[in-house]
Amino acid sequence: MALLLDIFGYLSVVLRGAVLAAQAMLLGGVIFLIAMRALLAAPTLARCARLVAWSALAFAFAELAFVLLQGLVLVGTLEITLGEALTAAFARADLISCAAAAAAAWLALSGAKGGRLLALAVLGLVILAAQVATSHAAARLEDRALPAFADFLHMAGAAAWIGGIPYLLIALSDRRDPTAGPMVARRFSQLAIAAVTALLAGGITMAVIYIGSFDALYGTAYGVMVSTKALLLSGLLLLGGMNYLMVERLYREPRAPIERLRRFAEVEIGLGLTVLFAAASLTSQPPAVDLVNDRVSWHEMVERLTPHWPRFESPDHASLALSELQAQIERAAATQSTRPEAYVPGEGTLAPRNAEDIAWSEYNHHWAGLFVLAIGALALLERSGRARWARHWPLLFLGLAGFLFVRSDPEVWPLGNVGFFASFRDPEVVQHRIFVVLLAAFALFEWRVRAGAWRRTGAALVFPLLTATGGALLLTHSHALSNVKEQLLIEITHVPLALCGITAGWARWVELRLESREGRLAAWVWPIAFVLVGIVLLIYREA
Amino acid sequence: MQRRSAYGLAALLLAAALGLPPAARAHAIIVAAAPGPGEQVKGPDVPVELRFNSRIDRERSRLSLLRSSGKPEIVPLEASGAPDALTGKLQALPPGSYRLRWQVLGVDGHITRGDIPFTVVP
Repeated sequence: MALLLDIFGYLSVVLRGAVLAAQAMLLGGVIFLIAMRALLAAPTLARCARLVAWSALAFAFAELAFVLLQGLVLVGTLEITLGEALTAAFARADLISCAAAAAAAWLALSGAKGGRLLALAVLGLVILAAQVATSHAAARLEDRALPAFADFLHMAGAAAWIGGIPYLLIALSDRRDPTAGPMVARRFSQLAIAAVTALLAGGITMAVIYIGSFDALYGTAYGVMVSTKALLLSGLLLLGGMNYLMVERLYREPRAPIERLRRFAEVEIGLGLTVLFAAASLTSQPPAVDLVNDRVSWHEMVERLTPHWPRFESPDHASLALSELQAQIERAAATQSTRPEAYVPGEGTLAPRNAEDIAWSEYNHHWAGLFVLAIGALALLERSGRARWARHWPLLFLGLAGFLFVRSDPEVWPLGNVGFFASFRDPEVVQHRIFVVLLAAFALFEWRVRAGAWRRTGAALVFPLLTATGGALLLTHSHALSNVKEQLLIEITHVPLALCGITAGWARWVELRLESREGRLAAWVWPIAFVLVGIVLLIYREA
Repeated sequence: MQRRSAYGLAALLLAAALGLPPAARAHAIIVAAAPGPGEQVKGPDVPVELRFNSRIDRERSRLSLLRSSGKPEIVPLEASGAPDALTGKLQALPPGSYRLRWQVLGVDGHITRGDIPFTVVP
């Protein structure tokens, strides 16, 4: 139970992300089947129905795991029975949506047409309603109807658009009837326009209600996450807009190549899933409008983002700069201690950080920045075709992984007293270790790809998938700080890093999967994104 | 072609399934507290009222008192009251330092906890 409590906050948001992703795939599939049933051949319809069934099972499994986790934590902390925990309003709603998803899986597997399709639609509505019943809107003190309706629209729109794309790809892969693909793609474009309208209407309404003011947009964690979601959404809309034009052309010339449409749709799925996990992180935040204390001011944000010369020497206690830094941290801590703090179980007993800790962390980030800047520059050099030796740039990532493994958590092995296995109880250490493993895997796979041995194999996809995952990981990376404002200031500096990582990953994906002008252009985009990551890391500050 | 497409799709989903472990912060937060953090209050009886930013499930929420030594003592909660508040009464507290530990279940299913240190003066 102690271990469960330690990782509870971390695990609950991961499970929530899985629930939202499966929900989008399930509901998106049902909407797709209803809208396209007359256009699809029977084998394609059956493939789509199978994916709906698998999505429904994934949803039921993730939702059940989520509700059991919450229930077990209530049992462990309140000394009540699991039955008492699972009769709470949220648990009843979650269990209803589990049962509805299980029924949807059975219906989809037994052939999704006619009355069964109608029943699937009703089950989809039950699932959406149950999700709204456990949303921010349900917990508001008053005026719950409008935010609940906005949330319903937002989730339905996301499902119909993002969740529908995998089904579009299935339909486009059926080449037996060349006229069906363009018609399905065109109808999906029209459906997506309606879905985006619902998603934006719901999202903007919730942003107005839950954020409330411009200063909360950058001054609170909730506002920053919503802003980041909006940036990712604008990238998705750009891709969607390009695909819309492509679909219109395809409708006029059914023999036109659809490779670009399919590859951009894949990137849309990846970005869409990133947005859904960001949304899961958002549900664990208090709405910005409720957080009236500890907001970051415009001045504080600008001050933090103003570049300083990087720190390339190890921290030194005796230096004057550190004494000043320590005084600054103590002043910030003094203002914090008079305010009530709130944590999820397993957190809230964090040790305060001192100037030496911060100097240590900045030193790590700045050296990492040098590594990444060198990697980006070498990748650009390789791309220019003027230096063949530069293709060995992935090996620099091995150096970076080793550096981070030793330095990122000084309290654990090999530098500290906490053992290697014992350190896995700290979610922040686990996140750092995942980064190290991702970096090492990335380095080895990409080095082999650059050497030519694995160029045409699935190994080439390790680069885009790990980079995009790493970027998404950074988007929601947390630092163990007891001061809410300081934590937010650090997260603000992580947002550009995350966005550059996500851009780099999906640009490389397009380069690998699309042999056209867009693919060649994307080959320049990702090294530039790496250079930008290097520069942002070099000017990174924690105080 | 179909197999390649399915492979790409599976790889995309793998990217999402790899985790993306996010920051978890508290959802329900205190908007008003009596006693407040670091506050000095007159004893021996101390009324407690914590108000939150959201509706809470009172049956699955708890208040405990931590003395300077010893295990937490459960504070009986008043059964009725505002849907966003936990209320109770601490009785016969001698002067000294205490921590009020709270844990609430929001109606939306989020579990949140925290400590409020306070001092009782004669």
